[in-house]
Amino acid sequence: MTLAAALAWQVGLAACVPLLVRRFGRDAGYPLAVGYLAAAALLLTRLPVILDDRQVTVAWRWLPSLEVDAALRMDALGLVFALLALGVGALIMAYCPRYLDGSEDEQQRVYVTMTLFAAAMLGLVLADDLLVLFVFWELTSILSFVLIGQGGRPAATGPAVRALLVTVSGGLALLAAVVLLAVHLGTTSIDTIVAEPQRLHGGPAWAAGALVMVAAFTKSAQLPFHFWLPGAMVAITPVSAYLHAATMVKAGVYLLMRFSAVFAGSLLWDGTLIAVGLLTAILGALLALRQYDLKALLAYSTVSQLGLLVGVIGVGTPAADAAAILYTVAHALFKATLFMLVGIIDHQAGSRDVRQLAGLHRVMPVTVWLTVLAAMSLAGLPPTIGFVGKEAMFAALGEAHGQWWLGWCAAGLGVLASVLTFAYAARLVHGMVEGPTRQRQLREPSWAFLAPAAVAAVAATTLGPTVAVLSPLVERAANDARPQGTPPDLALWHGFTPALWLSVLTVLLGVLMFLGRIRVERWIRDVPTTAPFAELFERGRQALLKTGSVVARTAHLPEPATYLARPLLTVVALAGVAAVALPEAPAGPGGGPARPGDWLLLGLLVPALAGLLVVRSALAAISLTGVVGLLLSAWFLTVGAPDVALTLMLVEVLTAVVIMLAVRQQPRRLAPVGGRLSVVGAAVLAAATGVAAAAGTAVLTGRGELSVPGWWYLDRAEELTGGANVVNTILVDFRALDTLGEAVVLAVVALGLVRLAPGRPGGPDHTVPAGDDLVLSLAYRVLAPVLLLASAVLFLRGHEETGGGFIGALLAGAAVGLGELAHPGGAPLLSRLRSAPLAAAGLLTATSAALVPLAAGRSLLTPLALATPEPLPSLSTSLLFDFGVYLMVLALVVAAVRRLGAAPARPSVQPDSGRAR
Amino acid sequence: MSTAFVVGVLVAAGVFLLLRPGLLRVVLGFVLLGHAVNVVLLAAGGLDRRTPAVEEVGPDTADPLPQAFVLTAIVITFGITVHLLGLLRRGPGGQAHGADPTGGDGIGGAGRAGGRPTTGRRR
Repeated sequence: MTLAAALAWQVGLAACVPLLVRRFGRDAGYPLAVGYLAAAALLLTRLPVILDDRQVTVAWRWLPSLEVDAALRMDALGLVFALLALGVGALIMAYCPRYLDGSEDEQQRVYVTMTLFAAAMLGLVLADDLLVLFVFWELTSILSFVLIGQGGRPAATGPAVRALLVTVSGGLALLAAVVLLAVHLGTTSIDTIVAEPQRLHGGPAWAAGALVMVAAFTKSAQLPFHFWLPGAMVAITPVSAYLHAATMVKAGVYLLMRFSAVFAGSLLWDGTLIAVGLLTAILGALLALRQYDLKALLAYSTVSQLGLLVGVIGVGTPAADAAAILYTVAHALFKATLFMLVGIIDHQAGSRDVRQLAGLHRVMPVTVWLTVLAAMSLAGLPPTIGFVGKEAMFAALGEAHGQWWLGWCAAGLGVLASVLTFAYAARLVHGMVEGPTRQRQLREPSWAFLAPAAVAAVAATTLGPTVAVLSPLVERAANDARPQGTPPDLALWHGFTPALWLSVLTVLLGVLMFLGRIRVERWIRDVPTTAPFAELFERGRQALLKTGSVVARTAHLPEPATYLARPLLTVVALAGVAAVALPEAPAGPGGGPARPGDWLLLGLLVPALAGLLVVRSALAAISLTGVVGLLLSAWFLTVGAPDVALTLMLVEVLTAVVIMLAVRQQPRRLAPVGGRLSVVGAAVLAAATGVAAAAGTAVLTGRGELSVPGWWYLDRAEELTGGANVVNTILVDFRALDTLGEAVVLAVVALGLVRLAPGRPGGPDHTVPAGDDLVLSLAYRVLAPVLLLASAVLFLRGHEETGGGFIGALLAGAAVGLGELAHPGGAPLLSRLRSAPLAAAGLLTATSAALVPLAAGRSLLTPLALATPEPLPSLSTSLLFDFGVYLMVLALVVAAVRRLGAAPARPSVQPDSGRAR
Repeated sequence: MSTAFVVGVLVAAGVFLLLRPGLLRVVLGFVLLGHAVNVVLLAAGGLDRRTPAVEEVGPDTADPLPQAFVLTAIVITFGITVHLLGLLRRGPGGQAHGADPTGGDGIGGAGRAGGRPTTGRRR
């Protein structure tokens, strides 16, 4: 439960942000930092359990049919990453108040998104199910996009989209891997998969492994996906410090460590990790060496350091795992510090260009000395944690298994990357302390601004000598990654080991490189280190967009005929192919056996349709369409579908009313049909489509027995639901989720109309006098109560006999329509109905009827009988649900009648003319 | 057998209306196509059993499942018709008074439909 509580706590914090921002303004970061620490403390309470080689788990059934659980599990590996996310998060939250100076909205957005991001990161490292892992993985990508995009600032849009596209394609790869593993192993439990890696042998292990690597490489900005990370630096500095240095990019590292136990040991996995990781380390460091913008320098430095981590994970010995975990912690600490300090410098000096910051140590000594401390960690100088971590990595790389030369190669590349790292770290510091002070007016920031960075810098330094404190946890975590033995103890001083000599070599070469920096810089500028991947990616994206617009252009035409012709021709062509390819039509009467009434329908339908095609009068066309509908509803009655017949009849009446209302201010004649040639063309296409549809109906329908579900409903409906009207029970009991979706569509149309068609100009006062339609007015007075009563009866009896929510609401809608015709602008009583509140009430009613069974421990939408006193008829939640449907349908009719009946808005619309009606 | 003819004439008439100028014709054509689909749905469920499924279940009882589909489909079609009418009133380009790019005329001669608020108005 601790895990779920921590996760819920973090989400709750995000929900509290608006309140905190209102109360404290930008200082809301401080209570949030306390909140992060509280979550971290909550997780730390389970530390003894975890050090005891046990795990903390919690799980709920999520998708029982797929055997997927919403499972969380915390072992030492998860705890390390969770503490990083929360601990660094707390520092960043405490850093934000002095950094943020935007509007309150912007502060709120930053705080909410960062806190949600921390929750997502927490979920990611605690997930014990592949699907849960994937969901949180994607959440971190999306929240990162939101944070980079900064609410749509133009300069940030491009980098944000690029970061999203890269990380989300990695997410797709992860999804594919998840599906592959789940299908092959029959489980999505990470614990099970990791515990029994041999189950994957002989399966698609290599494919799953490759996909996991792609996912990790995109997230951790490894070659060839590294280019999104420097772009992401357009985000504000706290975001860069937290997401793009300390946590999100570490998600890839976490993924690789988590699945090492499954995939390690194959050349594909180990070799790719070592090669890609170390190449990225060197390339990133070279690129960092060329930067003048401190933030860009740190971004490439992050790429490079993550590369080292990936390479070490590829080595796969216990020592390597421990080194990777320790260095992950070290990197998070010193890189977050450096980002925070660069943010401070940027904030104070207005520049991050290292050439503008000469002599900074004279005006901002504390900031610069803290930078020196963090840079020592970055460069791997004793006594910092960076030194301990780097030495552990050298030792691990030297042990790269297999051939002896592999170890030497790996260690050599690692040293090369570290030499470059030393050089750019030295350059970073040197730029600030060299030469005369350029900006004399600068001052040290307030201690509150410096404190978070100072805490991290001091922690990164003091954890070097006291690294033994971390030993038990790191040891356990390495064992969780791969249970293969105890790694060596962590210590600042191991004696004169080969790793120490490699460290000494690194420093010597680094110093040499720094001394020869002018020559080195010239050389590096000439080396074409800018990989072409970013440009390739951009070109591919543009090509995709262009293809999309070419495809879409064919649909962006003013006349429907032009683009409808294509799908229609396709239908005809398909029918033609089917006619040729199918040997013979099956026996029996196509479309079902015909009875005399059916032929009568056809006989009446043909003249009505023919008339519809030739008339020029709008009124006649509308009436003839109504006739067609009524003929069909009569026919539905003869085929044993009284509910359908009644619904269609009411809909036809309402459609006619609504169309009349919509077009009453418009010319009475239809548009000309067009030139003879185009009429003939349309007629030919229409006839061909008609023949195709008729042939399809004849061949494909009318021969089946009663369908199995149909039979089941007939057999069981009454017994299960207590309703005799099977059609209605299907709608409100068995397939209620379908019905809910459809009713919501109607509610959406109703609300759309409220937006689409503005209200009557001049508001309710602007009414047409009702005196000119005495007959209609009288009819309304007499009929409306009858219609409403009938509506209530039909609705209430729906479960037993013909009726129900749809039919009842349509009948009530007919009363509303009649009122609008008789009294345009304000029928007595019924004009008080408003569509938006009706739709909202309907939605609330239906969803609460859907949710009530959940409270009673049943599944969604299960009908429940409600206890009612004796004389009243028994009620069930399905009646409540049907009432929600009733309200939503009524909302649609009210919106249609009112909105379409109102005169169209004029250009000189008065401000109050859009008043909701 | 007659069902196939019914579907055929409904589809032919609906398609013809869709292909002709004027948004009102499009609306009416759409209504006809909706009818055709509903008939196909019922035919797919079988038309040899025609007793309503509210009484005692017998060998002649109609399949209720397609009826439930058709019932909601009818109401959804109504919703879409209403939406199309909203668009018709508003004219092309999402504006109540957009220029008429098609040179159409009269009702749903696309744009001008919404552009002549007072024509034919009852006073």
